[in-house]
Amino acid sequence: MCMSDSPVSVHTPGNDAPSEAPAAPDPAAQKQMEQAYAQMKRKMAMAEIGKQIKHKIMVLSGKGGVGKSTVSTGLALALAQQGHKVGILDIDITGPNVPKMMGLDGRKLHVEGGRIHPAQGHLGVKVISMAFLLEDEDTPVVWRGPIKLGAIQQFIGDVEWGILDYLIIDFPPGTSDEPLTVAQSLPDIDGMVIVTTPQEVALLDSRKSITFASSLKVPVLGVVENMSGYTIQGKGTPGSEVEIAAPAGRTLRATCDDEGRFSLTLDIFKEGGGRSTAEEFGVPFLGALPFDPGFVRGGDDGVHRIVSEPEGASASAFSHVVASIQSQLDGASSSSLEII
Amino acid sequence: MTEEPLELRRLERRDTDMELTYEDGTTFTVSYDDLRHACPCAKCAPLRNEDDTSMHLRRTIEAYPKEKPLVKTVGNYAISFEWKTGCSSGIYRFERIWDLAHRRDPDRGRPYVHGAW
Repeated sequence: MCMSDSPVSVHTPGNDAPSEAPAAPDPAAQKQMEQAYAQMKRKMAMAEIGKQIKHKIMVLSGKGGVGKSTVSTGLALALAQQGHKVGILDIDITGPNVPKMMGLDGRKLHVEGGRIHPAQGHLGVKVISMAFLLEDEDTPVVWRGPIKLGAIQQFIGDVEWGILDYLIIDFPPGTSDEPLTVAQSLPDIDGMVIVTTPQEVALLDSRKSITFASSLKVPVLGVVENMSGYTIQGKGTPGSEVEIAAPAGRTLRATCDDEGRFSLTLDIFKEGGGRSTAEEFGVPFLGALPFDPGFVRGGDDGVHRIVSEPEGASASAFSHVVASIQSQLDGASSSSLEII
Repeated sequence: MTEEPLELRRLERRDTDMELTYEDGTTFTVSYDDLRHACPCAKCAPLRNEDDTSMHLRRTIEAYPKEKPLVKTVGNYAISFEWKTGCSSGIYRFERIWDLAHRRDPDRGRPYVHGAW
């Protein structure tokens, strides 16, 4: 196809005879055609992304507040620690907080040649988020579905990700416009990671997310149980027994070791719900992440727990989850439809 | 209908119909007129709720010039067809294509209710 300087050419059927002076195009029609041209370019770019990004992983949950963004950033950083090129696409249009967690608060995006260049956070992880486009962080984004859809397609089609090994896509809670748009627009999605907390209310919504994935024919890579248990440590007299009042009226006991140290894990939000839900739906259980107040501090300070304590228990739990995801990806079979 | 559709491996666009080949090698033919009449979009689907509007939709489709559509996959779960004339909005789930291939009502006898999806 030959492109002239103008992005679009106008052809009026039945009016092929040469005329002396072509009429000036209607500005509204011209604008409409330019928008159509931009949309076409975006669709082509979205198709190209499949070739440049090796693995695309959606991170979802049915319920809010289970730690999706913490898990998304943790997965991205854990993968980057392994030496992979990683990006995070923060699709949470109305509550974008990945930039803050990645230490990119207040950063503006660089736009060159009509392409948006992602910001780079810890360990070189590339980040795109609505937060970069807001004038100030207290401004709400009040958009209806179709406008969100356009923004998401721009985030996918107009961003210069470059070559990536993994793109982690962080969603708002639920199974509505955002994940549906991405599942329709982005080719060759490897799968969804469902984040849940162990309590029944969160599990109820997680089941919806698993069914949603099945409806869109996107594989479920597995379920991650976040806030799985809070480990407390302390000191007492060597050999003595310590009693802790735990949730649900239970009493936990531990014996201090030779140096007087003890450790107990409190199941604040119950335990094992993620694993049992995964088993119920026949999807893999990827692992449990501990309830770690360091995530809260790290999120507020913009230094993720994996960065501040790369050898810690939380980083180790993330490595385990990442290894489980990678084993799922290795075993995945792809089939393609031949269209002639 | 509880059977699980087989995986569609090949779609060949011919002049007035398409040939579908599934993973077990079986092939089916679906005419473009049947395909377009089964459009699941919110504009076309309600027209199939009544016999007279459904027949009118069918006649309108049959009057369109015969053309090969552009075919695109939508995510992992559906196909869309782009026509030069008429409606190109429908997203056809693979289950819907499977039903059409087997000459079954893809609406499963249910009337379309706007917003009920």
